[in-house]
Amino acid sequence: MKYLVVHIRKEIKKNLFDYLLLFTAGVLFLISLNIFKGERLLEFIILLIFISFYIIWGIYHHIIEDSLHLKTVVEYILIAFTLMFLLKIIILPG
Amino acid sequence: MQSIKKIIHHLFIPHEGNNYRAKALHIDFLTYYLLFALFLSFGFKTLYARSGDVLGFATDITVDKLYQLTNNLRLDNQLPPLESNEHLALAAQKKASDMFAKNYWSHYSPDGLTPWDFILDSGYRYEFAGENLAKNFLFGQGVIDAWMNSSSHRDNILRKEYTEVGFAVVNGILNGEETTLVVQLFGKPLTTPLAQVSQNLAEKELAPITEEVDASIPIVEKNPLIQKQPAILAQKTSPEIKNTTQLIFNSNLIFLSFLILAIILDLYFATKLRIIRVSGKSLAHLIFISFIFIGLLILTKGSVL
Repeated sequence: MKYLVVHIRKEIKKNLFDYLLLFTAGVLFLISLNIFKGERLLEFIILLIFISFYIIWGIYHHIIEDSLHLKTVVEYILIAFTLMFLLKIIILPG
Repeated sequence: MQSIKKIIHHLFIPHEGNNYRAKALHIDFLTYYLLFALFLSFGFKTLYARSGDVLGFATDITVDKLYQLTNNLRLDNQLPPLESNEHLALAAQKKASDMFAKNYWSHYSPDGLTPWDFILDSGYRYEFAGENLAKNFLFGQGVIDAWMNSSSHRDNILRKEYTEVGFAVVNGILNGEETTLVVQLFGKPLTTPLAQVSQNLAEKELAPITEEVDASIPIVEKNPLIQKQPAILAQKTSPEIKNTTQLIFNSNLIFLSFLILAIILDLYFATKLRIIRVSGKSLAHLIFISFIFIGLLILTKGSVL
C-alpha cells in the first residue's frame, strides 16, 4: 500500500493543476446532477459534458506530459463511453 | 482452482504474460465492456418498447411498495396505518393524467383545478385531505425518503387526522421528457355534519397541500368500498420492467466496482514493480469512475412537490 500512496502523492504533486481541474469538474458534475435531479434530459446533458471533458482532459494531460499515443486516447474514449451508455440506461431508458 | 487463480492473476495483476497491464484494462477488454454496455442499452430499450410502455420512464416504484412504506413509517411513529381507498387512487390517477395532458408540475393545474377537485370528482367526500407529489425517482424507497426529508411532506405522511390513502404511479411525457409521476392523496372521509369544517385558505398555498372541507359541501356517507389491498388501477409499468430496472442498477454498481478494483490492483502492482508503460493515467480513471459512481447514486433521486 505504501508504494501506491507514494505514487499517488508524487503524481498529484507533479500534475497538481491537471488533477485539480479534473476534481473540480467532478464536483461540478455532482452538484449539477443534484440541482437538476429529476430532470432527465438535463441530467443526460450534464453527463455528456462530463464525459467529453474527461476525454479532452486525458488528451490535454498526455500532450502536456508528452506521452500522447493513439492507444491512450482510445483508452479514455472506451472508458468514458462505456460508463455513458451504462448510465444512459438509468437516465433515458426508452 | 489453480486455473481460476491463473485467470484472476491474468485479469488483475500486471506481468509479462499480459504485457505488464492488467488484462481487464486492455484495449480489447475495454472494447468488450463498451459493446456490453451498448447491448444492455439497446436491449433494455427493446424490452421497454415490447412491454407496450414506450413513453414511460422505467422505475422500480410500485403502489404496493409505497403503501407499505408509508404505513411502516406511520406505525414507527405510533400512528394508525392508512387504509387504501380506490376513490383516492382514482383521483390520484386523474391528477397525474391531467398533469401530463396539460403539461404542468404543480399542485394546481394551469386552469385552476385543485387537488380537491380531483378528489371530489372521484366521489370522495372528505373532512381532511392532502397531496404529495414526486417525479422521476428510480425506487419507491427514494420517494418516501425524499418526502420524509421535507418537513411539509413529512407532516402529510404523519398527520394523525388521515385515515385513508390512494396512490398513482403514471408514466408519460412532461415538458418534453419521459417522466414517472407519483401522486399520493390522503383523506379522511366526511362522516358527520358537525365535523371540522373551517377552510384554511392560507394552508392551501403550501405544498404539499392539506385542506379541511368547507361546511357547504353536502355530506356524503363514507365510502363503503375500502380495499384491503392497494388499488392497482394506476399502475402502468410492467413487472418485467421493474425487475429489470433493479437488475440494471445493481449491474452498473457491480461493473463500476469491478473496474475500480481492476485499476487499483493494476496501479498498485505497477508502482510496486516500477513498471513504465504507455497507457492512460490510472489515477485519473479512478477519480473519473468514482465521480460517475456517486453520480449513479444521485440519479436514483427525483424531485418532490
